[in-house]
Order: sequence, then structure tokens, then C-alpha cells
Amino acid sequence: MRYVARRLGLFVLTLWAALTVNFLIPRLMPGNEATAVLSRMKGVNPAALHALQVEFGINTDQNILVTYLQYLGNCLTGQFGLTAARVPVMTDIMEKLPWTLGLVGVTTVIAFAIGTMIGIVSAWRRGGRLDSILPPFLFIVSTLPVFFVALVLLYVFAVTLGWLPLASNYDLGATPSLSLSFVGDVIGHALLPGATLVIVTAGSWIYTMRNNMVTTLAEDYVRMARAKGLPSWQIMIDYAARNAILPNLTGFAMQLGYVLGGSILVEYTFSYPGLGYLFYTGTTDHDLPLQSALFLVYTLAILICVLIADFASALLDPRTRDS
Amino acid sequence: MRGSRFFAVLVSASVIAAGCGSSTATPGATGTSPGASAPVNTGLIGGKLVIDNESGSTWTCQFNPYNPSVSITSVGFIYEPLEFVDALETNADGSNVVTPWLASGSTWSADFKTLTFTIRSAVKWSDGQPFSAADVVYTFDALKADPALDLNALWSADGGPLTSVAQQGTDQVVFTFSGPAQTYFFYVADQTPIVPQHIWSTQDQTKLDSYADTDPVGTGSYLMSNCTENNIKYLRNPNYWQSTPGHPVPQVAELDYPAFLSNTPANLELAEGQAQWGAQYIPNIDSFYIAKDPAHRHYWFPATLNVALFPNMSNPLLGNVAVRQAISLAINRADVSQRGESGYEPAANQTGIVLPTYSAWYDRSIDTTAFDVAKADQILEAAGFTKGSDGIYANAGGQKLSFTIKTISGYTDWDSSLSVIRQELQTAGIAVTIQDEDTSVYVPDLQGGNFQLAYGEETGGPLPYYELRQMLLSSNIGSTNYSRYSSSSTDALFNQYASASAADQLTIIHQIEQVMVGQVPVIPVTEGVDWYQYDTTDFGGWPTPQDPYAQPPVWATPDNGVVLTHLFPTH
Repeated sequence: MRYVARRLGLFVLTLWAALTVNFLIPRLMPGNEATAVLSRMKGVNPAALHALQVEFGINTDQNILVTYLQYLGNCLTGQFGLTAARVPVMTDIMEKLPWTLGLVGVTTVIAFAIGTMIGIVSAWRRGGRLDSILPPFLFIVSTLPVFFVALVLLYVFAVTLGWLPLASNYDLGATPSLSLSFVGDVIGHALLPGATLVIVTAGSWIYTMRNNMVTTLAEDYVRMARAKGLPSWQIMIDYAARNAILPNLTGFAMQLGYVLGGSILVEYTFSYPGLGYLFYTGTTDHDLPLQSALFLVYTLAILICVLIADFASALLDPRTRDS
Repeated sequence: MRGSRFFAVLVSASVIAAGCGSSTATPGATGTSPGASAPVNTGLIGGKLVIDNESGSTWTCQFNPYNPSVSITSVGFIYEPLEFVDALETNADGSNVVTPWLASGSTWSADFKTLTFTIRSAVKWSDGQPFSAADVVYTFDALKADPALDLNALWSADGGPLTSVAQQGTDQVVFTFSGPAQTYFFYVADQTPIVPQHIWSTQDQTKLDSYADTDPVGTGSYLMSNCTENNIKYLRNPNYWQSTPGHPVPQVAELDYPAFLSNTPANLELAEGQAQWGAQYIPNIDSFYIAKDPAHRHYWFPATLNVALFPNMSNPLLGNVAVRQAISLAINRADVSQRGESGYEPAANQTGIVLPTYSAWYDRSIDTTAFDVAKADQILEAAGFTKGSDGIYANAGGQKLSFTIKTISGYTDWDSSLSVIRQELQTAGIAVTIQDEDTSVYVPDLQGGNFQLAYGEETGGPLPYYELRQMLLSSNIGSTNYSRYSSSSTDALFNQYASASAADQLTIIHQIEQVMVGQVPVIPVTEGVDWYQYDTTDFGGWPTPQDPYAQPPVWATPDNGVVLTHLFPTH
């Protein structure tokens, strides 16, 4: 219980720090919120500008401490006001969230499954053909920048071969429904961005899994299993992999943060209208309410993942609880 | 490539036009062959037209015509103005061709302080309610109640040019101004879409600018039928007021307006023939787009604005007219146009009059010698500058002609233009470096005078007056007069314009052209154009250089509404 309380306390403290940084950074950037609005609406008259500022909640005369407290209050209640396009910020985010969640969630699971499987098999057949080709290859690929992989895939499969769509999350003329054709359309559009994320993340799963497997395979209980004459697949899965997968499981949550960051570049390259793309347009448009809210969403997502990872490892490995 | 450069224009500079204009036409700027055999209108109704315009974000499915983020999807399609002003077509006296729209006509009082519109009576809102003069009065009152709606400052600029809007009789609306206001006609008649009182008056009147208007009711030729984040579908309004028996308006049955987040997919859609009405910047357009069907595909890039170098005249060196003249003479504008803008944006001239669009305003007697390095040398030497060993001129005090040019980061065509300009100025003994800035820094820098030279453009208006006034009026220092040019005689010319006759207005603009050439307060380099592509396979009636009845890109509102009433299916 003390462990849980300590983790929760740390979570709140980190969140507060992140929120404060989020509050300060836009205010340290050149120009202020007012000039950002001004430049977006070049040629607007001063009276209209003032009315807009009041509506956007931009008050340049207010004490910064008061603004800060209001900001913290708004973060707690989810009141982020309107985006530059006059849509409630939360509506905009909730509309885009499922697309990113779907893309990032599914690809992370796929990358985890593929990476872990390859890691297990290549450690089991250490020095074999698979072990000497796949892990090094995928590890090299995973060090390539996300946008580079995305552009190569885009060029080969969408531009040159024309097999897959170039952009968007579903066909521009399609109407969202649960029909088979629409779901197929959505999957078709998600293939390239998804493949990009799988390719750049699978490598790290392979490496940790393979290394853990190699260590585990040297354990006495594995030798014991061999001595008992168990079939080799049972030793590989039940005896070795089951123990070796622990660090990968906890790493799973941590990885999500990296993938979320990567999704900004992927969504931008494939014009995929998810949170990442929204983050990009919000930043280039100097849409402060939107930026603040998105930063909060990303921070929360990562912090919650870390928290879950902490709890999961405590649950799976009693040694963490005592230390 | 050019990112969001059109958005600035979109906010307040778009223009209109209308009618079956046959007066002195403004021929096209950079055009292609308009097609040997133009399709003939046989009165058919049908077809689905796909619009192609990179919006940069998905649709929010809001249609408030006073929300600049969404107005391009409602003004023209659904909401209409009182009269259309065609920025691309001028009468013999230089004034814009104007076509009555929701008003059947308008008259000015002799002192140009009172403007009376006669409102059409047979028009209906798309929900069946009658449209009336009361809707017009309501719309302008709403602008007053919520200043955030009043983007053209009708009620608040210079102490409020507009003092009252009142109904007179059953079908007239009288606008009263605090002073002569001819130049506000464009903003009142063309740039203020009329909204239905019976719907809008039930909303919070102080927050109308954020009213979502998800189910818009308008007088326009199209009805919004279905909206998703990726596409808006419009259907023709079967009861549109311009329809007469035997002459249906509009004739295109269905419109699709997809949301393109980036240029590449939008350009491919055009190249593959999926979309027919484009407003896209397309590199190598002849091979990428035209070559795939040269008989039916066309483009036309009409020019309406200057892209210019603004010298900061509070800088002691740039305050010297000899230096500004030398810079203007040292730039080979034709070369900048070719190498920097692929020839798509034509070369500008020092008078500031955009040609050929506004040739009616151009004073042919002015000597606008462009590109003469020898003359530039001569002027600098006469002004006491000498070339140093590094080939750069310096004055007697040793101050070198070495400047920084600020520009907007992400405008890659401007960057290539500037690198041409930099080479040319270097050859002429003037050193410049280019500095890219984000708009949130660039705009305040220009307004506040925190620059030496800047590359930029104004928002302009339907005639040269608007752009020149933004550039040169001394009270615009701090907003659009980036050069900080101040002259009481020039100010007086601008102030006379609003009450002058057409002939006097022409004289005034000719005098201002003399100021531009003599004082060089701004150095126009190329002309900003509208990107526009069209495909005549399935649809005819497009604006062309021979018939420039409206500004052709779909984001130019309410011109888009005029184009829609002209289009027809060819089969």
C-alpha cells in the first residue's frame, strides 16, 4: 500500500511540474498570445481584436499569478475554451483522439508481438540463420528517423506503385459507418502509417527480449526442464520466455510515450488527422488553447502509462514491492 | 510549398464580381490557351463537381460566415452579399464592374455620405421564410453588437465610418456614414454576407462570432447536405431566386468539397482528373497537370497584389531616396519572376499598379525604367557613395550599404525570389542577408519598424487605391505602412479620393504613382496571383482571361458564389 501511495504522490508531483512548464513555455516564446492572434488575423481592426482576445481568454493586463491559478483550475476541469477555429478545444481533441489511439494502440501491440516473438525464437536458435539476419536488420531500421521511413514507404507504395492511399484516415468521399467497406477503407488508410510505426519500434523489442531470453536460458531451471525431457517448444515458451518477458511487459507502457511522439511525424507525413496532426497545426497556427490542452493530454497519457508500468511490475515481481 | 500564404488574403482581401461582364475586360495575367472550343450551355442540370483546395485542416462542420476559419465553406455557397464587386474587371472609367445581388441596386447621395440599397423582394431563405430588408438591417446591427464580427471595421475604424443603418419603406435600407465613404462600398455591399434574422437573433448577440451554425440557412445557390471532417457535400438549391422558367440556376447538381491537409494529395487529385475546380499551387504545372489532357485542362493566375520590398525609412541609409532608387534599379524583376517564381507570378513595376489587371489606372507617361545597374551606380555615386574594395558601396562616414531582409519562414517561393534578389543587389554593390521569421514575430516586427528591409505584401482590395493606401498613408504607420513613409501631400490625396469623381480618382492615383516612382517608398518586385485550375471535360462556364467575371479560386468569397451560378454540365 505504501508503495502505491508513494507512486501516486510522485505522479501528482510530476503532473504539476509538467503543467507549470506547459504554462511557462508559451509565455517565454517570442511574441505573446495577443500578437499571435494578431498575426493570424492580419488586417483585423483593433476593436475586433480586443473582442476576440476577451473571448479567447487572453488578458494581457492580468497578474500572471492569477492567470496561473486560473490555468490550473481549467486543467482540472477540462475547460480549455475555444480553438482559433472557434471549436471547443475538448470537442476537437475528442474527435481526433480515437484515430491516434487506434493507430498507436494497434501498432504498439503488433510491434510488441512481432518483436517479442522474433526475440524469443532468435535467442532459442542463437547463431542460426534467423538470429543472424532479422535482429540486426530490424535494429538498424529502428534507428532510422521516423519521417524517413514514412517517406520511403509513401514514395514506394503510394506514389510509385499506387497500391495504398497517399493521405487521410479514410476516403474523402466516404461517409463514416460500421459497414464492411468503410472499415476496410479505414484499415487501408492506416496500413502505411501503421507499418511505419511497427518498423521503427519492433527492433527495440527484439533486442530486449533476445537478451533476456539468453540470460534466462542459462538458468538452472531451464537445464532442469531439458533434463526432464520436455518438448523444446514447451521449454522455450513456458520455462524461458515466460520469465524473460517481464521487462518487456513493463517497458510496453514506457514505449507508448515514444510512439506518441513518433505519431506526430507519421501523422504529418501521411496527412492523418489525429492528435499528432492537430498538435502540428496547433503549433504552426499559434493556437495556444489547443496547444495547452494537447500538451496536457500527451503528458497525462505518458504519466498514466508509467504509473501502470510501475504497478504492473510490482504485481508481477514481488521484489519491487519490498525495495 | 507555399503553405498557408493564401490565408492572409482570405481574411479580408478577397473580392467579387459578377454578371455577364462585357465591359472593358481585364485580360489574364499568366494564362494558358483558353481552349479553342468553349463548351456551350444547353441548360442541363446535373453532374457532381469536386472542389480542390488545400485547407490544411479537417472541416469543423461549422458554417458561420463571420468565423474566418470556416467562412470559405459558407460564403458564396450559402450566404450572399448585397452586390458583387469584380476585382478583375473594370469599367472604362477604372471603377469595378458591379452586379446587383440580394439588392437590386444602390445609389449614393451627392456628398457620398448616404448609401441607399433597394432590396429584392422575391428572395426566400432556404427554410422557406421570406428574405427582407429587415434581415439586412439586422445583419449590420449584429456587426455592431459583436465587434468580433466586424472584421472590416465598418463601425469602429477611424471613429466609425458607419453611423447608422435603417430601413426605409418596405424594401430600402439606408446606410449613413460620418464622412464621404465611396471606398467602403466594397466592404458593405460585397464583403458582408447577409444572415437570417429569424435564426440569428435567437443566439447570444455578443458571441455571434463563435456561433457554430451547423445547419446553415441562407439565400445562396447551394444547400449544405452532409458534412464529415473529410468532406462537405452541397446540393443545388432548387428554389434559388435567380432561377427563371427555362433558365435554371445553378445547373451543377452536386458539389464535393474535400478537406486536403497538404498540397501533394490535393495536386494528385487534380492531376488524376478526380477534381475539376482547383486553387492549388502546382510545381511544373504544365507537365504535372495540363499535359495529361491539354484539350480540357487550363490554368489562369490573375494578379491582384504586389509582392514588394519594404525599406524601413527610419533607417538613416534607407531614408536616403538615392539608396531606395538604386535598389529598385538593381533588381531584374523579370529574372526574379522567372527564377524565383517559375514565371507563375509576373514581374511588378515601380508604380505599384498591378498589370494587366488594373491597366486602366496605369499612367503610361511615367518613366518606369526597370533594371539598369549603370543608372543605379550613377545615382549612388552622385549621392556621395563610393565602392569599397569588397565591391560594396559605403557613404562618406564609412557606413556600408549592407542590409537584412526579413521574410516569412515557410514561404519557399519567396525564399528563392530573395536569393535571386540577393545576387542582383550584390552585383550592384549592395549587400543583403535574408532572415526568415515566423509570422508571429514577422508581423509585429514589420508593424513596429523593427527591420531594415522586409519582403511582404498587403491585403489590398478590389482596386489599386486600397493597396496603395495601406502602404503609404501616414496614419497607417504601426499597422500596414511598414516603410513608415509619411507625407502630408500624399495623405491629402488619399483623403480626397473617397469623395472624388471617377475622373478625379484616376488623377489622384496617377499622382500617387508619381510618388511611388519618385520617392520609392515601396519597391514592388513581383505580382501576387490567385492559383486556379479548371477542367472543361464535364463542366463549362469558368472564369477565363477573356471573361474575368469573378476572382476564380474557390476561397475567394463571395466570388465563388458567382462562379457557381455560371457553371453548367457539358453533357
